[in-house]
Amino acid sequence: MARYLVRRIFYLALTLFLIASITFFLMKLMPGTPLNNQAKLTPQQIKVIYEHYGLNKPVWQQYVSYIVDAAHGNFGLSFQFSDQPVSYLISSRIGPSLQLGGQAMIVGVVVGIIVGSLSAIRKNTWVDGTSTFISILGISIPSFVLAILLQYYLGLKLQLFPIADWGGFSYTVLPTLALAASPFAETSRFVRTEMVDVLGSDYIELARAKGLSRIGIVWHHALRNSLIPLVTVIGPLTAAIMTGSMVVENIFSVPGIGEQFVKSILVNDYPTIMGVTMLYSALLCAMLLLTDLVYGIIDPRIRIAGKEG
Amino acid sequence: MNVRSAVKVGAVALASTFVLAACGSKNSSSSKESVNFEESAEIATMDQSKVTDVVGFTQLGNTQEGLYRLGAKSKVKNALATSTKESKDGKTWTFTLRKNAKWSNGDAVTAKDFVYAWQRTVNPKTASEYAYLFSGIKNADKIAAGKANYKTLGIKADGNYKLVVTLDRPIAYFKLLMGFPTFFPQDQKVVEKYGSKYGTASDKLVYNGPYKQTGWTGTNLSWKLVKNNNYWDKKNVKMDTIKYQVVKDASTGLNLYNSKKLDVANITGNQVAQYKNNKDYILRKQSSMFYLQYNMKKQKVFRNAKIRKAISLAINRKQLTGKVLADGSGNPKGLVSTGLASNPKTGEDFASEAEVKSAVTQNLTEAKKLMAEGLKEEGKSSLSFTLLGDDTASTKQITEFLQSQIEKIPNVKVSLQNVPFKTRLTNSSDGKFDVVLSAWGADFSDPISFLQLFVTGNAQNNGGFSNKQYDKLIKASNTTDATNPQKRWDDMVQAEKILMNEQGVAPVFQQAQSQLWSSKLKGVVYNTAGVNFDYKSLYLTK
Amino acid sequence: MEEKMKLAPDAFEPVSKKDELDDEKIVAPSRTFIQDAWRRLRQNKASYVCLWILVVIGLIAFTSPITASHPNTSNPNYANLPPKIPGVNINGFNGTSVVAGKRVDAYKQNHVPSKVHYTLGTDYLGRSLAQRILRGTLVSLLIGLFATLIDLIVGVGYGVISAWKGGITDIILQRIIEVISSVPNIVIMVLLMLILKGGMLPIILAIAFNGWTTMARLTRAQTLQLKSQEYVLAARTLGESTFKIAVKHLLPNLSSVIIIQTMFTIPSAIFFEAFLSYIGIGIQAPTASLGTLISDGQKNFQFLPYQMWYPAIMLSIIMIAFNILADGLRDAFDPRTARR
Repeated sequence: MARYLVRRIFYLALTLFLIASITFFLMKLMPGTPLNNQAKLTPQQIKVIYEHYGLNKPVWQQYVSYIVDAAHGNFGLSFQFSDQPVSYLISSRIGPSLQLGGQAMIVGVVVGIIVGSLSAIRKNTWVDGTSTFISILGISIPSFVLAILLQYYLGLKLQLFPIADWGGFSYTVLPTLALAASPFAETSRFVRTEMVDVLGSDYIELARAKGLSRIGIVWHHALRNSLIPLVTVIGPLTAAIMTGSMVVENIFSVPGIGEQFVKSILVNDYPTIMGVTMLYSALLCAMLLLTDLVYGIIDPRIRIAGKEG
Repeated sequence: MNVRSAVKVGAVALASTFVLAACGSKNSSSSKESVNFEESAEIATMDQSKVTDVVGFTQLGNTQEGLYRLGAKSKVKNALATSTKESKDGKTWTFTLRKNAKWSNGDAVTAKDFVYAWQRTVNPKTASEYAYLFSGIKNADKIAAGKANYKTLGIKADGNYKLVVTLDRPIAYFKLLMGFPTFFPQDQKVVEKYGSKYGTASDKLVYNGPYKQTGWTGTNLSWKLVKNNNYWDKKNVKMDTIKYQVVKDASTGLNLYNSKKLDVANITGNQVAQYKNNKDYILRKQSSMFYLQYNMKKQKVFRNAKIRKAISLAINRKQLTGKVLADGSGNPKGLVSTGLASNPKTGEDFASEAEVKSAVTQNLTEAKKLMAEGLKEEGKSSLSFTLLGDDTASTKQITEFLQSQIEKIPNVKVSLQNVPFKTRLTNSSDGKFDVVLSAWGADFSDPISFLQLFVTGNAQNNGGFSNKQYDKLIKASNTTDATNPQKRWDDMVQAEKILMNEQGVAPVFQQAQSQLWSSKLKGVVYNTAGVNFDYKSLYLTK
Repeated sequence: MEEKMKLAPDAFEPVSKKDELDDEKIVAPSRTFIQDAWRRLRQNKASYVCLWILVVIGLIAFTSPITASHPNTSNPNYANLPPKIPGVNINGFNGTSVVAGKRVDAYKQNHVPSKVHYTLGTDYLGRSLAQRILRGTLVSLLIGLFATLIDLIVGVGYGVISAWKGGITDIILQRIIEVISSVPNIVIMVLLMLILKGGMLPIILAIAFNGWTTMARLTRAQTLQLKSQEYVLAARTLGESTFKIAVKHLLPNLSSVIIIQTMFTIPSAIFFEAFLSYIGIGIQAPTASLGTLISDGQKNFQFLPYQMWYPAIMLSIIMIAFNILADGLRDAFDPRTARR
């Protein structure tokens, strides 16, 4: 296990290094500079600014110092906020994003499990049909449409929750719902498939033959066994939430990372784009690693495979 | 300042705008007055020497103070200056400063703070984008070129409360500049204490204006302006708190307004149609002009005035502002925005006086004729070019519209290239375009703010327009006629007419901001140029 | 049971000597497999209906260059007209809209001649929304199809090679996949869009860039299984070339996995295109895609709801149809699930 872990962490570091290198050179291909408007600046001023951002050095030196700094969690200075380090920008905005993402993940997965299981237990009934349809709807409506519908109907018309802004818990409700749609849909579909599989297996037949109650069977046998594989979709769900957060944070004026990322794209703030890219990648890598570890622990069959790598 | 156009549509807007709310709670037991405003973009910096965007200028204009504050119609009013003396030749200005002005940390505001601030801004090491505004103040140009030390700038403190400024040449709009945040004082002690961190958060600078800023961490989306108890004129500041929230999505802003969370909202295109007759609706003209520049350096065809005129004549500006934008934006009368400045004698608006009708109205028959003639002269049978513009939703609409209009001339093909704001600016300065939709907002209420852009060799003159007569007139307005307001005015009117007749640039529309503005909120001073909104005397009616 | 059914009477007749004896040639099984799947798919009513919905949408979209020939013809005087169907006097279809709380006839207000009407209304430049939705559907479908095609070619090729070669090649190729798939796909897309900019091809490439990894994984897993099958072993022993084995033996058996994955990839590509449009780095104007139409319409949702609803409904129908069909196909190709 320990050897496996070391190996995985080594690969994780290698992956992040590659991503950092690739994004660095991609960004070097881009025309962006920290200057707002070079027409207003004298060559001397431009030189000063380039020195300030370390852009006067040869590319390979910039690359080396970028990688070294990045390893220390330092991604340079943002182009859009003057003298604001990207690492500060990220750290001051990660809170709301993590909170929203976490809440959306929990809501999406929990509701997804319930709906998915119901669907599987009542297979081929109207319950199944309705829940399948709802979950497909969840991945068929773009998050930016869902977000403004929620804002308009629940926020403005019914006045149930705040329309936008960031304050107490009530402010997180609408953005959480908008974000949870995609994990909900994925989870419920996944759980249904798994559970249908499990419910058809021999040990369930046996349990049934023994005369166990329906609820007992589902609770003790089916649910547990069909949820184990669910761990594997946590990685993709994380990625989906990252995507959604860019849109949802923008619409609900949430001071988070996703909103910042979109802004950085629109204003060519490359250091921030690179910083957020690294953050997202690190987060996803960590999630994938965690997934594999947890899966190895809860599913005894995987342990053997784990040793192989 | 260069202007981007997203202002209305949310994504990345420069323009400052607000929403204010009766701030929820009914328990207004105390006499505390508070409003909620909205901004469409984050604050980039609070450092006066580095600020470049309207959001920042609005914040600084309300939290800092210079020699003057500008009232309605850019009327100059004494602020830190109590008296002003201008020498006969207009080259020496002596200001007496008030003695009771203090920074929010308790330090006195002295003439030395001005000297320090100005020197810091022109110092090439600071790399201030607005250092160019100092041009005309003694040695400013030399300092910019690296030929003189920044300490030789024509500003001196004579004791703590007397400031002497010497100029290279008389500047007709000098007083207006003194009301612009770039020329405000800075507390040397504080600037040096925070070094490169100065102005990167609310608590990393000090304030001498009507309000102090709190709660801005450098990257967040909400902050407050609270009444500055060290302000010399605090008895005239009625508002205790102005809360700010950045809202990037236009419909979110409107929803907040409608649910009484905000009392002012910026509204855009279709929302304007809905609220045009609402009692809260206010149309705020801006001094931002959108215009086409033709790259005459790169494309020989654009040196032909007939072709430039033909393109301009093909554009139905009324349709653009009335049907496509439909947000209150106005038809341009020329390059200089409407409502910016008025004739010193007759009071007539500059834009109306200098209007060249044929330069800003559509005439498709004429356009086709001129294009055919022009192309023949150039020995070509067709014209195809790329139109460069910003990639914001509203600019995309505008460029799409321009494309469809210009392509109504036979044998003309337009392709579009929409890029981020900064990329557009870079490509413009590097000459990487055929035709570009540029925008400029006046920093002070004087036509020269626009007209000096198209002097031969000006860095903002991306297309390379050059006209000797034009250059001569602008030069005269800045030198020989600078102290004669009427003559200077006539020079500028003539220059604008030349520019329009030659179609060196083609004005497309003048931007405006439509707002829903709570009727309870009174006392705001709005100007089309410079610091747009002054909230010093803002108050709520019951 | 079913095995027996498949035995045709001619199976008992002696093979004619003229026929070449070719043990490797797999003619029947894969065909019957597809037929079998088709039969099961037809039994799944929802999927079958969705299949036809997609066929119809596809037909409409691919004929749109003829039926909707002027999606970019603007007429700003007719900007933002609501839908109007002559003879139908239901709010929402009669050319009226609510302005400042009052319902007004937008067509009259804008002095639109009485014979001019737009079934689905117009956009901010007075362009027919119906035409733009048709063309936008085409663009979105093309993006989805081509992105999936790239997935298919790269992913299947990669997966098969990885599994077939095995050893060090497999390890290296798998590491590469691991690296690519641990970058959030949205980040890759955004970075690529920043560099490539603009047209349809960059969007397709950006979406396909890490989409193929799933396909590669699935094919690799499947190929690994197939590799150890006797008939493949037999083919190898008989000296069949690797390429031929891949085409004749592997691909037909991979087809179900590939088809199912394809059905999931197409809608997600369409979806990502919409997302890119929303954050402002999608397809360049004046070309419309469903994504650009929805994100344009979304801004005016409160007052001109039709501008968002119609393209959004179109997108949702496509998404739902593809997803249900994919589910149905998965069941159809998997005899296990079909039996239950």
